[in-house]
Amino acid sequence: MTRLVNAELVKLRTTRTAVGVFALTVAVTALIMTAVMLIAGRPGQPAIDSGILPDLVVVAKGPLVIFALILGVLGMSGEFRHGTATPTFLVTPHRGRVVAAKVVAHALAGVTLAAASAVVALGIGLPWLRSKGVEVAIFDADVGSRLLGLAATSALHAVLGIGLAALIRNQVVAVAAGLLWMRIEDLLPAVLHRPGLGRWLPEGAAAALTGASPATLSMWAGGLLFAAYGVALALIGTRFVVRRDLT
Amino acid sequence: MSAINVHGLSKRFGDVLAVDGLGFDVEEGTVVGFLGPNGAGKTTTLRMLLGLVAPTAGTATFGGRAYRELTAPTRMVGAVLEASGFHPGRSARNHLRVLATAAGLPGSRVDEVLGQVGLADAAGRRVGGFSLGMRQRLGLAAALLGDPGVLLLDEPANGLDPEGIHWLRGLIRRQADEGRTVLVSSHLLAEVAQTVDQVVIIARGRLVAHSTLADLTASAAAAVRVRTPQAEALRDRLAAGGAAVQLDGPDKLVVTGVTTEQVGRAAAAAGIVLHEMRFERSNLEEVFLELTNHGGNRS
Repeated sequence: MTRLVNAELVKLRTTRTAVGVFALTVAVTALIMTAVMLIAGRPGQPAIDSGILPDLVVVAKGPLVIFALILGVLGMSGEFRHGTATPTFLVTPHRGRVVAAKVVAHALAGVTLAAASAVVALGIGLPWLRSKGVEVAIFDADVGSRLLGLAATSALHAVLGIGLAALIRNQVVAVAAGLLWMRIEDLLPAVLHRPGLGRWLPEGAAAALTGASPATLSMWAGGLLFAAYGVALALIGTRFVVRRDLT
Repeated sequence: MSAINVHGLSKRFGDVLAVDGLGFDVEEGTVVGFLGPNGAGKTTTLRMLLGLVAPTAGTATFGGRAYRELTAPTRMVGAVLEASGFHPGRSARNHLRVLATAAGLPGSRVDEVLGQVGLADAAGRRVGGFSLGMRQRLGLAAALLGDPGVLLLDEPANGLDPEGIHWLRGLIRRQADEGRTVLVSSHLLAEVAQTVDQVVIIARGRLVAHSTLADLTASAAAAVRVRTPQAEALRDRLAAGGAAVQLDGPDKLVVTGVTTEQVGRAAAAAGIVLHEMRFERSNLEEVFLELTNHGGNRS
């Protein structure tokens, strides 16, 4: 299994896709941080004080999880799109193992993206807060839990991407389905008149990772539930789609 | 001992029966041409052997073991399928590195096989810029990575220039000389005739012939071609004598089962004028066409 995870990591490192997504994450985080610095302290915006630091860690969470999801989708669907599924499955005829290796490798890639985003956010945010005369404690439990949550949500969104693409072989359709679902999920509880439903849906569960509140599940429960969604998609996709004839 | 066993193998795609009760064995250490027109079911058969396509019925194994059950498949079987299985943005060396890593093969094999297929100089280039011939070579490099005892090559000559085809023949021959088993598919008999010991010929998913190349050549039917203004009269006369005669245009006949002498005597006896007569042994390609067009069950 280590061999297969390593092979997936080599795949990630040897095309421009992952490098591009990484660069995009860094750039978008820097952009958002710039915007935050410009508007913070204005009426209706967060105050510039030590309480802002945990929020800065997850400042680019929205785009980050989308990038992680797309990276996961591309990692799986690319095999079918470029026909590399054939050599991949010749080396490893047990296709479920390939999907499992992809899940692990892309979760690691998701953590890397989250780390890059957090480093950029803090790298810009800490000097800025100091220049405003705000004392900040970086070794703060709140900051730590946000960092952990960001890494987890990014990793699990990459896993969800693998699952989606295992189920929907077409790259564009898989990405579109993922993004569309995020929108639908926002509306679903209201449409169904079930305001409590949201926390049980994938993105609602994931939200607990980076900001647990009374409206969400606990951080652990949300994380586990969200992971279960991703793994379930990957299992169903493997059973019914990935095992299909490769002609 | 046979290296490849195909028994009662069938595959149905919707309404299409792509492979229909196919059966043949390939002995260890032989080079076998797997022939048939496009759409005959060659690729589907190879993909079933490799576990990429699930058979509707029957089995396709390597000495009794399905590809999926091989402990180290890349070390036992190497396959070249189509030329499209590459990420265009990945270099040739990295493509092979991915496969070697997954198969647990030493990284040194990557440069060895790149040299073996003549791609050492292009190793660092992205595959997207490769010609079809270079992709075929890279596919071969991937197949050779695990130094396997059995090679399955699906139309490996596609996209190769004459020099490349010459090189490919040499490579296949060397693999065979080292005792490897090679099953090489083609829709052109001539392409593999110089390389193979035996041929397995299929048409419409069925076996039509499995023989040595020598036997196939011997079975090439001879014919006498005649040009005469009295074609129909000669045809009736020869047919009455038991020959198989076909009109091939208003003044031409193709006669099989007789010698030129017999045709000449028959014409003289009937006072028929001959403008031209020649003896013709049909070549391998014609035998192949004959077999695949009117494929019954000969083996």
